[in-house]
Order: sequence, then C-alpha cells, then structure tokens
Amino acid sequence: MAAKTQAETPERKNGFRAFTSKNTNLVTFVTLAAALGLLTSGRSFEWPSIRNLMIAESVRAFAALGVGMIIITRGIDLSIGYVVCLVASVAASFAQTPDYGAALYPGKDFPIWLPLLAGIVTGGLFGLFNGVLIAFGKLPAFIATLGTMSIARGAQLIYTRAAVVGSLKDNYKSISQGALIGPIPNLAVYVAIACFLVWLLLRHTKRGTNFYAIGGNAMAARVSGINVEREIVVVYTYAGLLYGIAGCLLAGRLGLANALTANGMELDAIAAVTVGGISQTGGVGTMSGMLIGVLTLGIINYGMTYLGVDSYYQLLVKGFIIIAAVYFDMKKFARRA
Amino acid sequence: MARDGADFLLEMVGISKSFPGVRALDDVTLRVRPGKVHALMGENGAGKSTLMKCLFGIYREDSGDIVLKGRKIKFHSAKDALEAGVSMIHQELSNVPERSVSENIWLGREPLHRIGPVKLLNHRKMREDTAVLMSSLDMEIRPSERMGGLSISKQQACEIAKAVSYDASVVAMDEPSSSLTETETAHLFKIIRDLTAKGVAVIYISHRMSEIFQIADEVSIMRDGRMIGTYPIAEIDEDRLIKLMVGRDDTHRFPPVESTPGEKRLEVRGLSSANPRSFRDVSFELRRGEILGIGGLVGAQRTELVESIFGLRQLSSGEIFVDGRKVVIRSPRDAIAKGIALITEDRRGSGIFPLLSITVNTAIASLGSYLNPARFLEHRRIESESRKLNETLRTKTPSMSTLIQNLSGGNQQKVLVSRWLMTLPDILIMDEPTRGIDVGAKFEIYTIMADLAKNGKSIIMVSSEMPELIGMSHRVMVLCAGRHTGTLDKAEATQESIMRLATQFE
Repeated sequence: MAAKTQAETPERKNGFRAFTSKNTNLVTFVTLAAALGLLTSGRSFEWPSIRNLMIAESVRAFAALGVGMIIITRGIDLSIGYVVCLVASVAASFAQTPDYGAALYPGKDFPIWLPLLAGIVTGGLFGLFNGVLIAFGKLPAFIATLGTMSIARGAQLIYTRAAVVGSLKDNYKSISQGALIGPIPNLAVYVAIACFLVWLLLRHTKRGTNFYAIGGNAMAARVSGINVEREIVVVYTYAGLLYGIAGCLLAGRLGLANALTANGMELDAIAAVTVGGISQTGGVGTMSGMLIGVLTLGIINYGMTYLGVDSYYQLLVKGFIIIAAVYFDMKKFARRA
Repeated sequence: MARDGADFLLEMVGISKSFPGVRALDDVTLRVRPGKVHALMGENGAGKSTLMKCLFGIYREDSGDIVLKGRKIKFHSAKDALEAGVSMIHQELSNVPERSVSENIWLGREPLHRIGPVKLLNHRKMREDTAVLMSSLDMEIRPSERMGGLSISKQQACEIAKAVSYDASVVAMDEPSSSLTETETAHLFKIIRDLTAKGVAVIYISHRMSEIFQIADEVSIMRDGRMIGTYPIAEIDEDRLIKLMVGRDDTHRFPPVESTPGEKRLEVRGLSSANPRSFRDVSFELRRGEILGIGGLVGAQRTELVESIFGLRQLSSGEIFVDGRKVVIRSPRDAIAKGIALITEDRRGSGIFPLLSITVNTAIASLGSYLNPARFLEHRRIESESRKLNETLRTKTPSMSTLIQNLSGGNQQKVLVSRWLMTLPDILIMDEPTRGIDVGAKFEIYTIMADLAKNGKSIIMVSSEMPELIGMSHRVMVLCAGRHTGTLDKAEATQESIMRLATQFE
C-alpha cells in the first residue's frame, strides 16, 4: 500500500517515546509508584503493602470495569455506590449467622450460594433497568442513573430498616478474606478473572467492538446494522452484574453492610477509569487502562495516607484529580469536533 | 434600464467571498427595488445562500459594498441587520418551540417593567402588541399560543410577522414554500403581496419554477458563484431560465460505464414517507449492473427516500421487492441482510468512527461473518479482508491501524465503500458519494462505481451534481418536493431536462 498521507507521524515514532506518548496512563502510574517507593524508602514495594493495595482496590476494580465499559459506549452511571450498597446488604442478609439475634432472617441458615446469587441478580436487575430506561426510554444516562441511585438507596434503607447487617458467617467472609492460591488474596484472583473476561469481551467479540462503535458514533453504528438499543441494555446489565459481584465481595470483606457501605464509589470508579484513559467522548479505552486507573488512584490514596494527609483533604485532592483528568482528556479529543 | 441608485432600496455591489479552496462569490451584484418581489435562482451551490449570509453579517464579504436606502452599511450580526430593517426567513425555522408566539416575536427586545433596578418582563404589552401586529397582517394566530404547537406555515407566518415588527424594508425568504401545502403557499403569497404593497422589498429564493412566475417581478440568476443576469419576469420564460441556471461547461471527466443493465433487482412501488412533508408515492426499479442516478434540488427528499428504503426512516405505505420477492425492512440490519448497503450523505455524522482504526471502520458492518466457532472475532481474517478491499480501492493510508480521522475525505470515502463491499451487497446506495472530496479522488470513486456495476452490482447514486448524474448514470430519476417527476434515459438526460423535472412542482 502506498504510504503517502498526512497521517504518518503517529506510527512513525518508534521505540520508547512512541510507547510513552501512547501509554500516558501507564507512565503516570509507574512514575507515581516510583515516587512512592522513594518516599517510603522501598517499603511500598514490599509484599504486605502490595497485598494491602490489592485488597483495598479490588472491589473498586469491579465497579471501574463496569462503568468503564459504559463510558466506552458514551454513557455514564451514577448509581454505582448505592447499588453496590444495596447488593452488599442483600448478600449480607442471607449470610448472617443463624444464632445472631438481630439478623434479618433470624434462625435461618441459608446455603452459601444464596447470598451470592441474590446479590448478583440484584445488581444485574438494576443494570438492566438503567439500560432499558436509557435505550428505550431515551432518558439521558445521567438522569436515569441519578434516579436509580435514589431508588437503590431507598430500597437499601427499607430492606435493612436502616440497621447494620452484621455478624456474617465465617465461610462467607472467607470468600473475600481468604487466600486459596499461595499468598495471593482471593479478591485479587477474582479481579484478575474479571479483567480477563472484560478484555476478552472488548477485544475479541463482536459485541465489544459494537460498544466502541456506539460510543464513537451512534448514528454510524445504527447505519452499520448494529442494534444500538440492545447493546446499550447489555452494557448496563453487564455493569450491573459487576456491581453485584462487587457488593457481595465487599460485604464479605467488611463482614457487614450498612447504609454507608460503598458510598461515593461511583466517584472513585469514574475517576479511576478517566485517569486510565477511558475518554468521556466515548469510543476510547481499554481494560488495561481501567485497571491502571484503579491502581493509580490506589497508590495516590496509599501515598496520602502514608504521608499523613487528613482523610478530608484526601477527598479534596481526589476531586481535583478527577477534574484534571477530564480536562486533559477533553483537550486531547477536542480537535475531533 | 435606468441604473440610478434612487431606484433601488438595496444594492449589493461587487460582492466577492472566498473560502479555503473555493471562490463562493465572484463579483456578484444584486439590486432590489422597493415594493417588488425579486426572485433569486440557481442550482445547489450557486452561491445564493452565501450571498444572503453576507447581507446578514453571518459571513463577512472579502470585497464589495452593501448599500441600503443609499447608505453604505455593514452588519456584524443578525441583530444589526434586523434593527436596520433587513430580515431573513430561513428555510429551517429558528424559533423557540416551547415558548409562546408573543415571546418569540419579541425575543431579545422584550418590553420591560422597570421597578427601580429590577427589570421584569411586561407580558401584557407583549401580548397586546402581538395581537395588533397579527391583525394588521390579517393573520389569525393567538399571541399566547405555544410556537411549537402551530403548523409549519403558521410558524413561518410568525417569522414574517416578526420581520414586519422590526419595520423591515427588505425581507429575504429562503425557500419559504419548501414545507408548505398549496393552500399554505397561497396564503404565503397573499402575505408577500401585502408586504410589497407597503413598499417592502422581498428577495425570494426558490427552486420552484411555477412559483417564480406567479409571484416575482424580477429574477436574478446565479451560477457557480457568479451573477448571470437580472431580468424582468415578463421578459423571460422557463426554458431560458433553465438554460441560464445550468449553462456551464462540463469540465468533469468520467470513466466509461460499460455495464449493461440486466434483470430487475430492486423494485419500489408507491413508497410514501411516514413524515407527511417528505416524499409521497414514489415508484422505481433498479436492474443488475445498473447505475441509477437520483437528482433533484435541495428539499426534493432524495436522502429521505433512500434512507427510508434502508430502514433508517419510517414508511407509511408502499412495497419493496428485492429479486422479485417482497421484503419488509424495519432497520438497517434488515436491509443489510437483504443485500442492501447505504453510504450516507453525511460522512462525519453517520459514516466514520473517527477514533477507530481503518480495519474496524471497514469491518464494523460485517463482523458477524468473521466469528470463529466460539463466537470470537477472527482478527486475522478481518484484517486481511479489510486490507484487501482497501488495496483494491487504493485507499491511501500508512497502515490499517491508522485512525480514520487522519485520512483525507476521499480516502475516508473509500474506507466506507470498503465497509459496504465487505457486507457483500447486491445493491449499493451512495448518497452524494463525491461530496467534499477533491477532483482526483472523485474520479477514483467514479471508477470504483463503474467497476462495481460491471461486476453485476446495482448502484443508486443520489447526487446534487448534474454532470455527475449525467456522466455516471444509466438512467436519472428526478424528484421534486418529494414527488417523482420523471426518469430520463442516458440519451435524454441533459442539465436542462433534469433541471426542468427538478423544478416541476405538481
């Protein structure tokens, strides 16, 4: 093929510079990790630190994978935090020790799979509902998910009567807290599996390609024969299922669920994927970007805690990081219009 | 004829305007008399709209003068123009549909109550002034009515009322009748006559021959950015007008189209759009190896027709037959399954995925045929097939992973042709296939079309460029205002004959 156009430059750059300019999110992550390593004189590279980071970020990773896919289709999901909260409460309610007096179902000993199933189904249904509202109800995603956010919150308070759902069975907690493969925490293993599946979906299936097409140009996607409505329902449902898993695991990790569980997780997840290069303009982003984004925010949290930054200030910093990430993202893609 | 300045209300003298690569207006002079209707005619892209935009300060002319009532003027915005008494009624209505008629008319200059430093809208005065305005124009529109709830013609009447409320001395109307019924058009003409009786000059842009002869006092003809001439309507007839509009040297080159149309492949009977203002009762057929051109002027509903056949828009009635079998097409997916492909008119809006690679852009409509038994994408086959198609069409790109937004318009168009060829269609609909691409790339697109036809594909080409219609089509079907006004064989198709059908309303 005759290589003779104006588009040569991006591909022409070779080696290290090309790699870094294409993978700014990875560069940011490595730089921050190295800086943290220096600050902590290497302690952040020791296994306990890494293990803590994995455990702390794993639940968020599920939420990020879900909302990351949604943002690729040019959508948004604000309901994450309260859906995860509701799911955690539902799952916890079926995993309480039978002799616990304040249990939601006192004296009942449910099989171990029931809380998982109930939680994941709840998450999936919320995702489905979001998807139907957006695809067929033609509601803006922002508003639709704002509505379901409130619905999930109300449902959680009604279901738990605003009480803590605690005293979970040890075998349930060990799903999250255990480590079946050597020293690697189970949570990290689940995240790895989820990442693999999302990668497979985005990279190797027709559906994944459709997500990018819809986010890149929904009208062109329709003209190309893609069932845009169906794919939107599917992406929100997949995300809901991922939130479902997140909620189940979170309940197990904390050993309880209450109305404050996972609050603000939507912010963390959206921030993470944006830092990871999932553009709000739609049609751009990869699984690895989502994961890098989660880890980047993770080490920023870790670093601030290590440096003794007040947790209130941490929130402040996080806000600025989101704004900065979106600002640079918009600058990068502004030329497109 | 006396060219004394006093005779004219508005003079635009020696207006030139260039855009990068195009000379849109070249020394154009237009003189308009008070109390007369001055028709402005020309093909798509002749420069009529650009001229009007210069008048209203939307564009700044490179050179030339605009003189209103003997005074040289220069508007910087539409507001300037309105306040100087120059109004424009746009083809697309530009009102605020959720607000009332009176609020729309006084938008931006609402009468106010002043209570100290506080300013509040004086709704009552707005309504009363509107009522007076409407009755003076003999319009039966209630001031409090919601604008969006009115019919198109009443909305247009409101625009005219708004123009009058600014005490307009010049009112330009860009295809005002394009979405009106006959009765509504008659009412519009009555309003126009009332305006001219008050000494207002009306610039009337239309493609409809019969209307021009009904309403205009003078007619100016533009072609390729130049003013061809101004004539009193009594001194010109339809034939002459058409000749002046199209009379251009054919500088385009076309490859030979060597295919001979074979058996019937697509037949359309009595197709009507679900939108009552779009096309109605259109029938035609398309043969194997045939290139069928669809011509017409802006507002002829050509895009609406082909997009409806492709399932992007709704039909209210009519039947579609593919290879003799009746088909129902509800979505582009249905159309693709029936072997129909559509390259839309708006390459950026509904064609390319700017941030995706050439490979994905090529393969996106045919991924279903490139799955392995486990339903995963066969990247290698996708890549090689996309590469093969783009090489055949000679898409110039550094690599298949280049983002399509980095290609030139002509190369993007070739990627889109590749996309649709990958779906193995029998019928390829191309809406304005050479819009916005350079001359060399145009010729390549024409060559591709000729080759496809030779290989038995059937092509429908919607085009606004007459030489292209004549040079490439076996037959040219012409639409005017949503009606199929005729089909011309290659031998009959000339710019004059197409223009005659394209302006033949009714």
